[in-house]
Amino acid sequence: MLKVTDVGKAYGKFTALEDINLEVADGEFLAIMGPSGSGKSTLINILGLLDQSYTGEYLLEDKSYKDVNDNELSQIRGDQLGFVFQNFKLLTTYSVYENIEVPLIYSKKAQHNKHELVADVIKKVGLDGKEKNLPSELSGGQQQRVAIARAIVNRPKLIIADEPTGALDSKTSKEIMDIFTKLNQAGTTIIMVTHDSEVAEYAMRTVYIRDGHLYNDEKSVKNHD
Amino acid sequence: MTDKILIAFKSIGKNKNRNFLTMLGIIIGIASVLCILAIGDGFTHTMTKGMGNHDTRNKITIAYEPTTDVSTDNGFTDNDADILSKIPGVNRVKLASSSAEASAKASYKAKTTSIGLNKQPKHLKLVKGSYFTMDGSDNGIYISESLAHKLFKENAINRLITIDGSVFVVQGIYSIGSMEYRPDAYVAKKTFKELFSNQIFKDQAKLYLEAGSNKKQIGKTAVKKMKSLGEQKNTGKYSVSNPDAISKQFTRILNDVTYFIAFVAGISLLIAGIGVMNVMYITVSERRKEIGIRRAFGATSSDIRNQFLIESVVLCVIGGIIGIIFGYLLVSIINAFLPFKAVITGYAIILSLSVSTAVGLIFGFIPSNKAAQSELVGLLKEE
Ligand SMILES: Nc1ncnc2c1ncn2[C@@H]1O[C@H](COP(=O)(O)OP(=O)(O)O)[C@@H](O)[C@H]1O
Ligand SMILES: [Mg+2]
Repeated sequence: MLKVTDVGKAYGKFTALEDINLEVADGEFLAIMGPSGSGKSTLINILGLLDQSYTGEYLLEDKSYKDVNDNELSQIRGDQLGFVFQNFKLLTTYSVYENIEVPLIYSKKAQHNKHELVADVIKKVGLDGKEKNLPSELSGGQQQRVAIARAIVNRPKLIIADEPTGALDSKTSKEIMDIFTKLNQAGTTIIMVTHDSEVAEYAMRTVYIRDGHLYNDEKSVKNHD
Repeated sequence: MTDKILIAFKSIGKNKNRNFLTMLGIIIGIASVLCILAIGDGFTHTMTKGMGNHDTRNKITIAYEPTTDVSTDNGFTDNDADILSKIPGVNRVKLASSSAEASAKASYKAKTTSIGLNKQPKHLKLVKGSYFTMDGSDNGIYISESLAHKLFKENAINRLITIDGSVFVVQGIYSIGSMEYRPDAYVAKKTFKELFSNQIFKDQAKLYLEAGSNKKQIGKTAVKKMKSLGEQKNTGKYSVSNPDAISKQFTRILNDVTYFIAFVAGISLLIAGIGVMNVMYITVSERRKEIGIRRAFGATSSDIRNQFLIESVVLCVIGGIIGIIFGYLLVSIINAFLPFKAVITGYAIILSLSVSTAVGLIFGFIPSNKAAQSELVGLLKEE
């Protein structure tokens, strides 16, 4: 699915990422763990083509998007990627239905069945009957389901989730993780950032970030310390 | 497109008060624009209608005015018309009369004089004789005191008078007040029509010009030609009569009013535009999170720019529509004070809407561009 070679990222003098090497196979469910400020979001933004200013090489499905123009980049984000964020990032004045519909508005894929697509994902995340509600009328878990529905409505190959359970209690987190597991079993590749090891257990593989460096297991992180 | 406009309506609806205040400037501006156009259109409409001719622009009128007291047979003759029509740029010439009076020669015994003649009016106060309505076969005539004095020394009543070969009997004498205008004689209506209607005094020559010809120049040439060749050059004077002259002063006042309203319109549209820009800047910075979300889910930077541009235009067009309604009411009020009727044309409405759209586009452009150009990662950090 994707291959990262010697990627680095600096904010001015501050090095947020250094020498990152990572390969993710199709259909994999990868967890990225690390303490706050370690560079998890920075990495995942690069992987999600949200941030283009990095050094090194990043190939998504064997293609580098470093010098691709904004329009093409936006299209790839809309059609091939799905994002889930810690704080849901829903449009607060739009209904559940309208929030989920957003990626379809901008998609270049021909869609005659927009309504069906939305109804389908609403069922998948278990929000039947909530179509007309505003996000503020939903619980945190329900809001995150809306965000997941929005991320998958365009049937992306890769879901990128940045601390999707960060704002949820452990019971709700479990429900959300069950949805992710189901999506992964259906063939979607998932990269998920978390600092909760219980949540990370849902993934097939976990990598660790500390101070901008990536480690493949916890032991090497400890050695680093 | 409709869904994008709906999104715009929704976003505008979210901040009704703020957006309405922003619209006020546009409402005033557009109402003023509409008033200007309505007054202008109404004025030209009235002017062209008043002339009874739609191509007044290609017409000039040469007027003849006798200098001696009613001593001419005629103003312009067919000969004169012929001369005038040969002036380069003139298509054709039509002779006309500003009054319905005919000119004729009246004689009694050896005395002959030129007179102005008209058909009998409904009421006429006589100093001598008795007034009655003459029918066509009647050869009666009423003459003025001065004509009576010229032709007859003593009593004129029941005397015979010859007018261009026809004999009439004087039935009464009327006096002409110093502030009054009357011809020298009146005959029966039918008689006038049968005998004298082709002798109506032609004191106007209307020149119809070729498109694009120099009105002023041709007018001058025509007057010059008549001064040297006109058959009545010795008994009267020729001049270019300007039908616009009456309205000229009025037009000037109107122009002043128009400039003032245009000034108000311009200023309020400028202020409105700045208001729109300001409100769009606020909107854009308030909605950084929304922009980030849309960008992450496939919106291109031009999608974002268009979204805010549409919003800005919709805001201005709503203001424009309210302004048109407001302007319509204003025009109704103005019409109570105008000597003509200001009219709102479809063109004025289209122009008003175009101006609102332009304000939205121009002043919404920079904020929308700012929204489109924002760094994505930064946007997604917003809460
Ligand atoms: N825009 C930025 N400018 C400067 N420093 C930044 C910026 N974004 C993140 N950082 C810094 O980079 C480091 C990694 O940030 P981030 O990837 O958000 O961490 P995480 O998601 O692991 O908590 C942090 O020390 C943070 O302060
Ligand atoms: Mg983070």
